[in-house]
Amino acid sequence: MRTKTKLSAIQAHISRAVVPHRQLNRAKLEETVAGYAFVLPSLLGLTIFLVLPILAALVLVFLRYDLLTPARWVGLANIQALFTDQRMITCYWNTLRFTLGATFLNNLLGLLLAMGVNRSMPGVLKYLLRTAFFFPVLCTTASLAVVWRFILTQDRGILNYYLQQLGMQPVAWIASARWALTSTILYDVWKAFGYLMVIYLAGLQSIPVGLYEAAEIDGASRWQLTRHITLPLITPTAFFCIVISLIGASQVFDNVYVLTAGGPGNASRLIALYIYEVGFKRFDMGYAAAVSLTLLLVLLILTTVQFWGARKWVHYE
Amino acid sequence: MGALRISRKRRSFWSYLSEGGVWVFLITIAIIQFAPISWIFATSLRNPARSMDLPPSFLPTAFEWRNYLAVINSEQIDFLLFFSNSLKIAILVTVAQLLTCSLAAFAFGRLRFRGRETIFFLYLATMMVPGTVVMIPTFILIRTLGLLDSHWALILPGVTSAFGVFLLRQQFKTLPEELIEAARMDGASFFRIYVQIMLPLVGPGLSALGIFVFLGSWNNFMGPLLYLRSWENYTFPLAIVTLQGYMGMGNRAHVLAAIMISIFPVLIFFLAAQRYVIQGIAVTGLKG
Repeated sequence: MRTKTKLSAIQAHISRAVVPHRQLNRAKLEETVAGYAFVLPSLLGLTIFLVLPILAALVLVFLRYDLLTPARWVGLANIQALFTDQRMITCYWNTLRFTLGATFLNNLLGLLLAMGVNRSMPGVLKYLLRTAFFFPVLCTTASLAVVWRFILTQDRGILNYYLQQLGMQPVAWIASARWALTSTILYDVWKAFGYLMVIYLAGLQSIPVGLYEAAEIDGASRWQLTRHITLPLITPTAFFCIVISLIGASQVFDNVYVLTAGGPGNASRLIALYIYEVGFKRFDMGYAAAVSLTLLLVLLILTTVQFWGARKWVHYE
Repeated sequence: MGALRISRKRRSFWSYLSEGGVWVFLITIAIIQFAPISWIFATSLRNPARSMDLPPSFLPTAFEWRNYLAVINSEQIDFLLFFSNSLKIAILVTVAQLLTCSLAAFAFGRLRFRGRETIFFLYLATMMVPGTVVMIPTFILIRTLGLLDSHWALILPGVTSAFGVFLLRQQFKTLPEELIEAARMDGASFFRIYVQIMLPLVGPGLSALGIFVFLGSWNNFMGPLLYLRSWENYTFPLAIVTLQGYMGMGNRAHVLAAIMISIFPVLIFFLAAQRYVIQGIAVTGLKG
């Protein structure tokens, strides 16, 4: 009797100790299976349409392939060709000027207008201002570039009409080597700064109001508030905005494809357009892949430098 | 969300002047931003023969709605077809991406399994690779799969995105763990937890991602340019850019009417859902 009770007690003890353990293992397995099942559709898509192309690009660099005849192994020929490609250098030089100009203007306007909008004003007015600033962001870049062609064209263009009203000479915005790149930058700024403005606005609104109130009690002027509170505390947002606008601007395609088609000559040919043309006008897939890998390299270096440089000017609390 | 309020004391002539300057600046930029849009609208309603006339009008001076009918009913160019092609692709891509991304994001954010961190690192790594870099190999892949000149060439690559997974994962991570534990105790499967408990709670993230994906697809130009060949498969942006030459510069009003048709849905959507769009971007800005 006594031993029996003891035995059942032991059994109960064992089952209590073992069963949860087994359940735990089962639960763990179940969670792992579920995890993989949930990730699978996305992982499959990502592998086929992103990882595979990235790996393919690394192989393509060594091939000569025009889509019609079978690919031929050419070793380092494509990479060697990069070093003597004068046209690519020109395109990178254009891309550099475009990227710096667009990034600077987009961030400047984005921040200034965010600071302008971030004040007490009637709700309707705020709504209208935000709509006006932001709406171009939502429009199709390619279609609106058609409209900008109408605005900027030399004869019967709208901008030139107003310039002439002001007594100035009409400018060949699109057709002259001097202004073509500037035109693409202007279009990009019109189109894109609203996006950054929204991010800057969110950054401004996350600065605690208490800081301003405390500084005001200490008699700080409006300029001092901006200089010593707003600007330092907006630097993390600014860093993010500058990184995304540099990466975005260095890949601009739709804008120049429609607005200037890279011309006149090479005056506004950006690197993305060049890659497209090497691939789909010259049908030199291997070399196009080689040029696009240089872009990857440039962007990696650029981003690394920025993260490294960020320590000097970005304030994290 | 307190807008900055500066107390009214110590207001001098100069502070009024700078305040005025700020307003002049805001309103000038707002006018510059909106002028092209209102010019499109005003000119699309002009008589086609007079659409090149200067001075340009920024408010409608004529109301030739026939221009819109001419675009819609055009014999040679079926804009309604282009419109529905764009819409079909955008809707399919958005639905697919919300589904695959939220599933994966739930797993990365809330489930513990071996290899999770490694796979997620792969996602982050692919996010660093700019789209231009994979343009050429992706084209070759699409061609090899026999998808050229088919809408699948635009839909399949858009079925998922590392960005979407990353965005939604942040949202799933903010939800309390007790929700899952309690549901597990009650014997709910992970799939049920995902559908019935977690998904409703990440609504803001889903709508933000949905807006991005839809607009990205709707505005996509390079993809259709690379993959689509025959007229009947064209999307709206590709049709507009290709046809501006075809329709002739003389008929600016028709080109602008077509562009206005592509802007209308976006404008109406934005006026209705401005808050969500703006919040969505702000969320990615601060957390991304």
